[in-house]
Amino acid sequence: MPAIELDGLTKQFGDVLAVDGLDLTVEEGEIFGFLGPNGAGKSTTIDILLDFVRPTDGTATVLGYDAQRESLAVRRRIGVLPDAYHVYDRLTGRQHMQFVAESKEVNADIEAIMERTQILEAADRKAGGYSKGMRQRLVLAMALVGDPDLLVLDEPSTGLDPNGAREMREIIQAENDRGTTVFFSSHIMEQVEAVCDRVAIINRGQLVAVDSIEGLRDSTDTSTTLEISVANVGDDDIEMVRMHENVQNVTLEGDTLRVTMSGGSKFDVLNALDDAGVEVGDFSVDEFSLEDLFVRYTTEEQEAET
Amino acid sequence: MSVVAVAKKDFRDAAQSRALWALLVVFVLLSSLLSYAYAEFPSQVVGTGTDTATVGGLIFFTSGIVTLFVSLTAIVICYKAIAGEREIGSIKLLLALPHTRRDVFVGKVLGRAAVLTVALAVGLLIGFGLGFVLIGDIEILPVLVFLLMTLLFTLAFVGIVVSISATTGSTSRATTLAIGFFLVFELLWDAVTLGVFYVANGFSFSGEAPDWFFLVTQVPPSSAYSASLIALLPDIADSVGTGVGADDFDAFYATPEIGFGFLAFWLVVPLVLGYRRFDDADL
Repeated sequence: MPAIELDGLTKQFGDVLAVDGLDLTVEEGEIFGFLGPNGAGKSTTIDILLDFVRPTDGTATVLGYDAQRESLAVRRRIGVLPDAYHVYDRLTGRQHMQFVAESKEVNADIEAIMERTQILEAADRKAGGYSKGMRQRLVLAMALVGDPDLLVLDEPSTGLDPNGAREMREIIQAENDRGTTVFFSSHIMEQVEAVCDRVAIINRGQLVAVDSIEGLRDSTDTSTTLEISVANVGDDDIEMVRMHENVQNVTLEGDTLRVTMSGGSKFDVLNALDDAGVEVGDFSVDEFSLEDLFVRYTTEEQEAET
Repeated sequence: MSVVAVAKKDFRDAAQSRALWALLVVFVLLSSLLSYAYAEFPSQVVGTGTDTATVGGLIFFTSGIVTLFVSLTAIVICYKAIAGEREIGSIKLLLALPHTRRDVFVGKVLGRAAVLTVALAVGLLIGFGLGFVLIGDIEILPVLVFLLMTLLFTLAFVGIVVSISATTGSTSRATTLAIGFFLVFELLWDAVTLGVFYVANGFSFSGEAPDWFFLVTQVPPSSAYSASLIALLPDIADSVGTGVGADDFDAFYATPEIGFGFLAFWLVVPLVLGYRRFDDADL
């Protein structure tokens, strides 16, 4: 049974087509990234999964339940970190957690969960005084109450500093290791790249690509850029590198040699330079990132349309 | 129970706010002031020419003023109940949990009603306690009837305002609608009935009103409440000279008992309409 199954899902708001015939299957046990620029239809899709919004056409199934007709069964089994939510300012973090446990009718170890998302020390303070990052940790803790089978996280790293974002990834990973399927949306590619088994890229309400990160890389013309600090490099050395197998382009800017390659061994290039008597200092590898991939997918799509 | 969880959270949330405590103080002061004014100067404040203050007189005196306070505070306490949560997005936390929209709606009505009725009941009990002392007479039963009807009126008004709040995701629109309701049905209803009379009478003010016109006068929630109170405490109403103005009409329905019907209408119909709108909405 797939964790999420979208079949021709469509939502029209007035004359805006927010989601346009989306077909998508998320398997149980995956960490699935749902990517797209702002306004692509990610939140609307998630809102339909939670029955905040009713589709104009098509169906959404979550853990085998119809997201609209059997929404209550869906929400009993999932944990949610919604987008653009607001906490109850006058209630403490602990009261929020108690409310979730009461609502889900479970006995949860509230303190242990709050410890995991590192909000325990603020448990007895009113949530109105929390920073954005603390609120995000609290709502994540709320999502984990009752050990859900599926976590739906809408832009989970919003408001978190890089450290917080890393911890968020670790929690996602840990939950996944416990058997929880994770579906999360993001427009920040690094987040997705680091933890996702598979990703879907959507743009203007339509699916542009679904694949593993590797699959996405392979299916596009990707390349790696090598930046090498060099001393006493001559024109013949540059020419030598340029003739090297897999090397597409070589430029020299001051003491930095920039080598663009499509596959092949980076060390062969370094060794060749070394053999030619060039002093090789630091070097760094700039792999074609998912960010670039994402930009390519979404902008090409848009250009094709216009 | 999901409804209880929502109502409890809502009550807790409201109980943390200063508004509840301010409300409690206002009701205690108001009720005590009314008791004092009536017990000390019965003829001036009631104006019926009786110089002796009675508990029954205090009941009807208080009932005439308490509706205004209840309806206004219900608007203040309830206009944001659902529209506010939709506007800022906290409803997403609420509905991401296994609550149906009906649970949320009913829980909101119960939670807000609890806030208002607790403040009101405490205020009225203290006020009437003072009244008993000042008047030198204790009548428990009529006061309990009065309290019960006042709580029902409160519930009706909370239901109306929460229902209005449930029809929109904008608090400014909810405010406009709630104040509009108050203006039309409470403050300006006399003018409305006059207009109805004028039109039904062939655009003239002369002549006698038809029987059904009585029903028009009884529509507002506060009129339904007063009529119900008169129907339940006929002897006291008689002794203080209060009625529903049914003597001018000859129809079988021209009785105070009609108040129960209108009160029931206000208790049920707004909730049904408000819930339906909320249930169909994209949040």
